[in-house]
Amino acid sequence: MSERVPVLRIGDVLLVSIQVDLDDQTVLNLQEDLAQQIVDQGARGVVIDITAVEIVDSFVGRMLATIAAISRMLDAETVVVGMRPAVAITLVELGLSLGGVRTALNLEKGLALLRRSGRSERT
Amino acid sequence: MRERDGHPLLTQYLTSAQDVFALRREAQAAGEALGMERQDQVRLATALSELGRDRLGCAGLVVTFTMEPGDPAVLSVAFEWTDGPAPSPESLRLAARLVPHVAHRPGPPHRLLVRQPVPAGGPAAEARYERVREALRPTADTTLADDLRAQTRDLIATLEETRAQGEELRRLNEELEETNRGVMALYAELSQELEETNSGVVALHSELEDKSRQLREAGEAKTRFWTNVSHELRTPANAVVGLSQLLLAPDSPVLHTEQHEQVRLIAASGHTLLALVSDLLDVAKAEAGQLEPHLGPVDLRSVIGQLRGTFNGVGLADGVRLLTPEPATLPVIVTDEELLTRILRNLLSNAVKFTEKGEIRLDVDTMTDGPQHWLTFTVTDTGIGIHEQDVTRVFEEFYQVPGPRHRGRQGTGIGLPYARALAELLGGGLTLTSAPGAGTRVEVQLPGRPAAALVRPPDDTPAPERSPEPAPPAPGPDAVPSVPTPRRPTGDR
Repeated sequence: MSERVPVLRIGDVLLVSIQVDLDDQTVLNLQEDLAQQIVDQGARGVVIDITAVEIVDSFVGRMLATIAAISRMLDAETVVVGMRPAVAITLVELGLSLGGVRTALNLEKGLALLRRSGRSERT
Repeated sequence: MRERDGHPLLTQYLTSAQDVFALRREAQAAGEALGMERQDQVRLATALSELGRDRLGCAGLVVTFTMEPGDPAVLSVAFEWTDGPAPSPESLRLAARLVPHVAHRPGPPHRLLVRQPVPAGGPAAEARYERVREALRPTADTTLADDLRAQTRDLIATLEETRAQGEELRRLNEELEETNRGVMALYAELSQELEETNSGVVALHSELEDKSRQLREAGEAKTRFWTNVSHELRTPANAVVGLSQLLLAPDSPVLHTEQHEQVRLIAASGHTLLALVSDLLDVAKAEAGQLEPHLGPVDLRSVIGQLRGTFNGVGLADGVRLLTPEPATLPVIVTDEELLTRILRNLLSNAVKFTEKGEIRLDVDTMTDGPQHWLTFTVTDTGIGIHEQDVTRVFEEFYQVPGPRHRGRQGTGIGLPYARALAELLGGGLTLTSAPGAGTRVEVQLPGRPAAALVRPPDDTPAPERSPEPAPPAPGPDAVPSVPTPRRPTGDR
């Protein structure tokens, strides 16, 4: 009965919007789907939108870091956008810095960030 | 350490990740109801999430929310379980960073207690307690998981029911199949029996056909044999009769008395032999269907007159009367005169032979059955009669009823069968009824259309009864002069 998180495509960027509480199976499915889509679509970047997420515990934090690491392996950069202040504070208090995961305040800025880095890489 | 005088708010089992999500939401709701800061709500929920995920899988895991009064009041959340690994130091460390008190007490029952002080101020303790209870009402957010579980349970129950129905259906099918097999077996058995019976009937039928074919062939062979033999016998018999008559002729050399008597006996025996052979030939012809009836107008007056003349002249014993119908009542009919005469002569001859006193009676009746006209000739005598067991045998050729009174009477034993064969040839039949001592009655039925349209012979024709001269000796059993036969024919072997 585990749900699947939809993966959308915007240009060469994949957008993942997390709307539900994530359990183990949903997270594993998401990692698998995302990796497959990056390969299939030749995506250059991944944006994970956690605007709807109120609680981020160490499990979800590790999941975000893992997704970012997998994407990097497949030559795609990951940006986490829409993090709530309380979530940010809690993550810091938990000692989770989400190393290797770039963040942006919202989706627009996240996409702009990816465009910039893509251009700089190509030039 | 147990909650001191605490008000238990909510107790629930923790068995799945969904339960942990529900726990987080409840913690947030409780914190909000208690007026905790938003950040503290998130901290508490996150800490419970860490601990809940860590403890998931422990046996009998239960979470209890309790409100501890005091100053400050404290919201305590206790995880209790009966068996499972100890809490990981990592999760304890992470939780300790988010909430003020986290304590683990090994059990059993194992216990992990999280205490979160509630900010002072705001509504009175009782009121806050009520608000928390309201916030934690299990109907709120936990219902999603409960609904899902209930749905799952329903689904499982439905599946189970379906499976049971399928099982029942399968069982019924099996029973039906069993019954079908029984019926099929019965059917096969019955049809086999029927087939066996059928083949038996067919075999019997073909056997019967075979037998009747053999019988027919045997009958034809017999008739052929008779015809041939009779024909061959007639020539020497004629020679014997002719030569003996030559010897007896007045102009032949004189024989002395004894020789004359012997030659006379030879002549008589020759006549008898010739008559027998002729009879046989006639019967054979009748049976072979070689006799063709020649239908024509027949005046019964003349037929019966001739018969009367014949029998009044010879053969009647003393005191025996021969009664025939009044000539005027006799019609003219269409039939074969020759064959009719032979039939009646045979019957009358038999009657005359076996009647020593009383009367012999010939009656003629006409009868109409729809378009068909029938003539019935009845010959009744007051003779010695025939035993019941012999009545059918008298129609066998050459059969003569045994007994002292029949012995020595001249005859061949083919009179009755011959008469019957002729009657059948004419399309009619012959029946005989008799009893010993009471006489015999023979009935001959012939189809006979009255020849009304035909001209009756003129009345001046000599009345039959007044023409006593016998008919020319036609072939018939008793038409020859009565002479003692030296030996009975043995053709019935």
